[in-house]
Amino acid sequence: MSEIKSESISSLVDNYSPSTDDSISPRLIDSMLKDDELASTWKNYHLIGDVLRDEAPEALQLDLSQSIAEAIAQEATILSPKLSANAVSTKESSSLVENDDSLNAELEISKANNVQDAVQKTNQNTNNVVNATNRFKAKIANFAKPIGQVAIAASAAALMIVGVQHNVSDNSITPNQVVQTVPLAGYANPVSFSVQSPQVEQYLQNQQQSQQSQQAKNEQNVAERVAQQRRLQSLLKDHNQQVKLGAN
Amino acid sequence: MKLPVLFLLVLCVNLSVSAAETESAKLWLERFSQSLRQLNFSASFVVVKNNQAEPYHWFHGIDEAGQELEILTRLNGSRHDVLRQGELVSYLEPDQEPYSVISDDTRGPIPSVFRGDISELEESYRFISVGRSRILGRVAQLIRIVAKDKYRYSYWLWLDQNTGILLKMAVLTRQGKLLEQVQLTHLEVNDKLSDNLIQLKSTELPKAITLTNQQQNKQLTWQVDWLPRGFSMVKSNQHYLNSYNRGADRTVDFILFSDGLVDISVYVNLSNEKFRAAEYANDGATLVFNAISQGIEVGVVGEIPLDTAQKIAESIAPASALSRVSANQAPDDKTLKNEGLSSRKSPTNELKND
Repeated sequence: MSEIKSESISSLVDNYSPSTDDSISPRLIDSMLKDDELASTWKNYHLIGDVLRDEAPEALQLDLSQSIAEAIAQEATILSPKLSANAVSTKESSSLVENDDSLNAELEISKANNVQDAVQKTNQNTNNVVNATNRFKAKIANFAKPIGQVAIAASAAALMIVGVQHNVSDNSITPNQVVQTVPLAGYANPVSFSVQSPQVEQYLQNQQQSQQSQQAKNEQNVAERVAQQRRLQSLLKDHNQQVKLGAN
Repeated sequence: MKLPVLFLLVLCVNLSVSAAETESAKLWLERFSQSLRQLNFSASFVVVKNNQAEPYHWFHGIDEAGQELEILTRLNGSRHDVLRQGELVSYLEPDQEPYSVISDDTRGPIPSVFRGDISELEESYRFISVGRSRILGRVAQLIRIVAKDKYRYSYWLWLDQNTGILLKMAVLTRQGKLLEQVQLTHLEVNDKLSDNLIQLKSTELPKAITLTNQQQNKQLTWQVDWLPRGFSMVKSNQHYLNSYNRGADRTVDFILFSDGLVDISVYVNLSNEKFRAAEYANDGATLVFNAISQGIEVGVVGEIPLDTAQKIAESIAPASALSRVSANQAPDDKTLKNEGLSSRKSPTNELKND
C-alpha cells in the first residue's frame, strides 16, 4: 500500500493531476494527507527535484511548520487564562507589598523558580495545561509577556541586521551579473549588467514541462544569456572606443 | 489696483532671479572649464555605478612650454590609462595595442564638454545654480544641468568654491533616480608639475593612428529619422565590431551622434536571425539596446533612457526612403525595407572580401 502511495506521490510531484491519472483518486489523496510519513516523503521528493534541476536555494530553509505549530499550541495556554491570571497576579502583588524587602527578594527568587518549573511542566504535558489555570501559569503570563515582547523586538532587530548584511553582500558580489569582457586574454573587466529579458518569464512558463526537457532548456537559457551579454558587451565596448576616437 | 502691480513685481523678481541663477551657473561652468585647462592638480576620484566603485587617479598640469599634460588611470582591475601631451591623447588598454588620437580632450568618466564650450549645451539643457554644500571638506557650489526634454538625463555638478574644479558629479533621471556618480576623494592644486607629469613629458607616446579597418563617412543606406533635439551626427562609418568569439566579427554600419554632453552610437547590420526581442542592459547611466526585426539588427548605446533608445531604433529607415516616397507616391513600407536590405548587402560583402 505504502509503495503505491509513494509512487502516486512521485507522480503528483511531477504534476500529474487526479483528473488526468486514474490511479490517483481524491480519496487516496485525502488518506495521504493524513499520513505524516508521506508528507515528509512529499517534501523530500520536492527537495530532490529541486536539487536535480539546480533550483535548490543556496541556504536550505529549515522546516518551520512544526515549530510554528508548537508555538501556536503554547501560545494558547498563555493567552486563554488571561483574566484569572491577572486577578491572581494582583493578589500576589498586594501580598508582596505587605512584606518587607528581604522577604520580597526571597519571594522573587522562588517566583522565578516556580516559573521555571511551570515552563517545564507546560512543555511536558501541553494538553493538560489549558485546563490547569493555577498560580504558576498566572506568573508565566505576567513574566512571559514582556519577555516575549522583548524577544520579538530582539528577533526583529536581528532580522534587520541579517537583512541589511544580506543586502550589502548582494550588492558587492554579483557573480551572475559580472561579465568578463575578454576572457581569452585573462583579464576581467567587471561591468555588471542588470539584464532584463522576457526569457525569465518564458522560463517560468516552461516549468510545467518535464524535468529533462527543462534541464536542457535551462542550459539553453544560460547559453542564450551569455550570448546576449556578449552582444551587449561588445556594443558597449565599441561605443566607448568610437567615442574615444572622436571624429576620426 | 494694487494687487496686479504687486503680482507683476513678484513675477519680475522671480524671472530675474532665475535668469541670474542661469547666468551664475554659466559663470561657474566657465570657471570649471578654465581650471580644467589651466591648473596643476592631482586628484583621486571614484566612479560609483552598478553598485560598484571604480577608483581613478587624475593628474593635470601645464609645462613650461604651455603644453597640457594629463594622466587618467583606473586603479582597480586591468589597466586603463589615458595619457595626454597637448593634442596627442594615448589610450592604454589591456586587450589592444596602445594607440593615440589627435584630440584636445581625454575621454574619461568626466564629460569632455566641460573642458570646452558649454554654450552648445544650451539648446538641450538648462543651467541652474542651486546652492552651496560641503564636498570633500570644501565649500562646493551645486550646478544643475537639467535636460529640457524627457529624452535624456540630468547632470549635477558640485564645483569647488576656490578652484572651480569638479568635486562631485551625479547623473540622474528625470524622476531623480541616481544612476552614476563621480566623487573626488582627494584634490591637491599645486604650482609645480607633479612627478608623474614630469615623467610623462619625456615619454614618447605612440603615433596617432590612421584607421584602416573602417570606411570613413560612407554613404549609408539607412538613416535615423528621429533623434532628441540638439543631437547631431559626429561621424558615420562601416567597421568591424569586435565580438568576443573571434572569427565571428561582423561589419556594422555605424553613426555616432552627440548633443555635446551625451554620445549615442547607432549600429545597424544584417542578421541571420529574422527576429529577436529587444534586449538591453545598463552600465551606470549608459544603456545598451539591441534588437532584430525583419532580419536587421539594430543596436543603440548611450547615456539615454530606454524610451529614447527604443524610439531611435524604431525610427531607422532606408536612407533613400524619403526621396522615393516623394517620387513614387508612397510605396508600402515592406517593399521599401526589402529594397533597403538588398542595397545594403553589397558593401558588406565587399568589405569581407578585402
